[in-house]
Amino acid sequence: MIVFKTFLKVVNKCKIPIILYTVILVFFSGFNTVTNDNSTSFVATKPDILIINQDEEEGITKNLIGYIGKNSNIKTIENEKEKIEDALFYRDVNYIIYIPKNFRKDFLNFKNPTIEIKSTGDYQASLAELLLERYLKVANSYHTIIEDEDALLEKIDDTLEVETKVEITSKLDTSALDKATMYYNFTNYCILAGSIYVICLVLSTFKEEKIRKRTIVSSMSHKKHNRYLLYSNGLFALVLWLFYVVLSFLVVGDIMFSIHGLFYILNSFLFMICALTIAFLIGNFLIDKNAINGLVNVIALGSSFLCGAFVPPEYLPDTVLKIAHVLPSYWFINTNQTIKEIEVFNVDSIRPIIINFSILLLFSIIFILITNWISYRKRKIG
Amino acid sequence: MKKVIEVKNLTKEYKKLKAVDDLSFDVVGGEILGLLGPNGSGKSTTINCLLSLLNYQSGSIKIFGKEATPDAYDIKRQIGVVFQDVAVFEELTVYDNINYFCGLYIKDKETRKKYIEEAIELVGLEEFKKFYPKELSGGLLRRLNIACGISHKPKLIFLDEPTVAVDPQSRNNILDGIKKLRDNGATIVYTTHYMEEVEILCDRVIILDAGKVIASGTIDELKSLAKMEEKVSVEVLDLDDEYIEKVRKLKNVELVSYNKPILLVTYKKGKNNLVELMEHLKKEKISYNKIFSERPTLNDVFLDLTGKGLRD
Repeated sequence: MIVFKTFLKVVNKCKIPIILYTVILVFFSGFNTVTNDNSTSFVATKPDILIINQDEEEGITKNLIGYIGKNSNIKTIENEKEKIEDALFYRDVNYIIYIPKNFRKDFLNFKNPTIEIKSTGDYQASLAELLLERYLKVANSYHTIIEDEDALLEKIDDTLEVETKVEITSKLDTSALDKATMYYNFTNYCILAGSIYVICLVLSTFKEEKIRKRTIVSSMSHKKHNRYLLYSNGLFALVLWLFYVVLSFLVVGDIMFSIHGLFYILNSFLFMICALTIAFLIGNFLIDKNAINGLVNVIALGSSFLCGAFVPPEYLPDTVLKIAHVLPSYWFINTNQTIKEIEVFNVDSIRPIIINFSILLLFSIIFILITNWISYRKRKIG
Repeated sequence: MKKVIEVKNLTKEYKKLKAVDDLSFDVVGGEILGLLGPNGSGKSTTINCLLSLLNYQSGSIKIFGKEATPDAYDIKRQIGVVFQDVAVFEELTVYDNINYFCGLYIKDKETRKKYIEEAIELVGLEEFKKFYPKELSGGLLRRLNIACGISHKPKLIFLDEPTVAVDPQSRNNILDGIKKLRDNGATIVYTTHYMEEVEILCDRVIILDAGKVIASGTIDELKSLAKMEEKVSVEVLDLDDEYIEKVRKLKNVELVSYNKPILLVTYKKGKNNLVELMEHLKKEKISYNKIFSERPTLNDVFLDLTGKGLRD
């Protein structure tokens, strides 16, 4: 108990860096929340269209303008060449429709009047073009069989009013999953940095030669003392992990109550174990306490950058990602990305996750073996 | 008296260097044994072997009648160690430091609390309980170091040069504390290269050089090994060789040296050597400022036995 209490007192001395890591995490997660919009519902995009009508606004001309207006944002700009071109250049409008003089008359007389357009060429302009093409196709089709203008317009309206309802069949809350993935990717840094910083500090304090000698000559067995230290560090790592998990429920929200959330938590738990073994490994050969900050930067920050904790992995060069394969962080982040992509959880879909979990465990076992080997060598030399 | 430590033919080698060479000695209960020797004489290596911190090539060590091994925890429970280097947690207060090291031996909270208070009182750190080590002076740190080593009330205490780089006030406090520990029944092994401390504290002394015992016994027994009986120093501003020769011919004189302005006269034996020298100076009309007589020190004994001083 005395070892645990002393452990807590030593840990208490490094609360500021831990708070700092947490503040950074919350800040980045909060930033992500603000920059991500909710895409669970579908809202049709309306292009900005300028109609320059040189015909009288009656009959089919009026109907065309009405249809376009209903499905787009009609812009009003003075009919001056320079102002129109400026509006197009500055994307105030995406599409300009020039309705020629006598359009109505020529259309009804089957003279195929030409409607001129100007476009910004972007996808909004394509939408505007689709609107115009759709109207003209429907109008031309019905006009071959209906000559009466009123009947024609009625038929056109009926046909065009059939609205395509877009329903998102996938129940995936992609925005929340993005948020959760980003949060848990970022915990790569927090868990690694927190574990390495605290555990290395504690181990280097307790294993400092002078203190170690006092412990060895005491009546508490060396094994027992080490066991208490191991439990204390393990408990710390567990509390640190739990803290970030609880925080994820607050920052990310409901998605954490789903199976996706469960897998994110499970993945971070395995990574926490791996981070603990890394910290033990470093703590065992660390001599100078002053080197801890540098190590945290090199290992936690370095692997976070290399493996895509801060920048989504898809933006990283292939060479970097290939190198990152040798780091546990890569597999942790890769699992988070995989969890995000899964719609239905079944044996096949979780297979890559299970493989990644196994790799993380394998890393942990390797680190434990190396730590034991170093400790054994140290004892032998001593 | 019962033997607390029995060391027989202990030999510890570092590659080709024999740090401890066929060392044998005993420590009896209730005494303060001084291990005296210059740096590198094997004092700390001997202590480390006794504490099972170092393996040794040959010999045997028995503490409280049992073989001292790294896992002899029943023996370790009765031992307290104060290392040469201050070994405390920078992150803990004075009280918490003592609590931690005492806690490695004493589980019961109440007993521990009582022992900690007693240890704090013994080393005089009552006003510094809540201080962190970095807030303490060198002397106070040494006192804390001692409190951490003895708070669990051990029956056998190893003190490895506990007063190195300590101010006189703290040194006196530490030495008083050690005497109190002995008075309370503890057996103490005290290593130092300060002969003054040994003379003040130790009941028995073992003088080590190059890992070997070169002399052992009580202070008086050791001093009797010195070739001279008395040493008289005189501060004289100017002396010629003729007068120095005259002094050499005085009764009982062993050696005479003059390093301006100190005339040092060493006597083999005899009484009233000082008075006779003073009368001789008066007769020869030689004026002097100071004159004083000294008994041989352990350093003189060491010098006679090895040809070098303890602090060389």
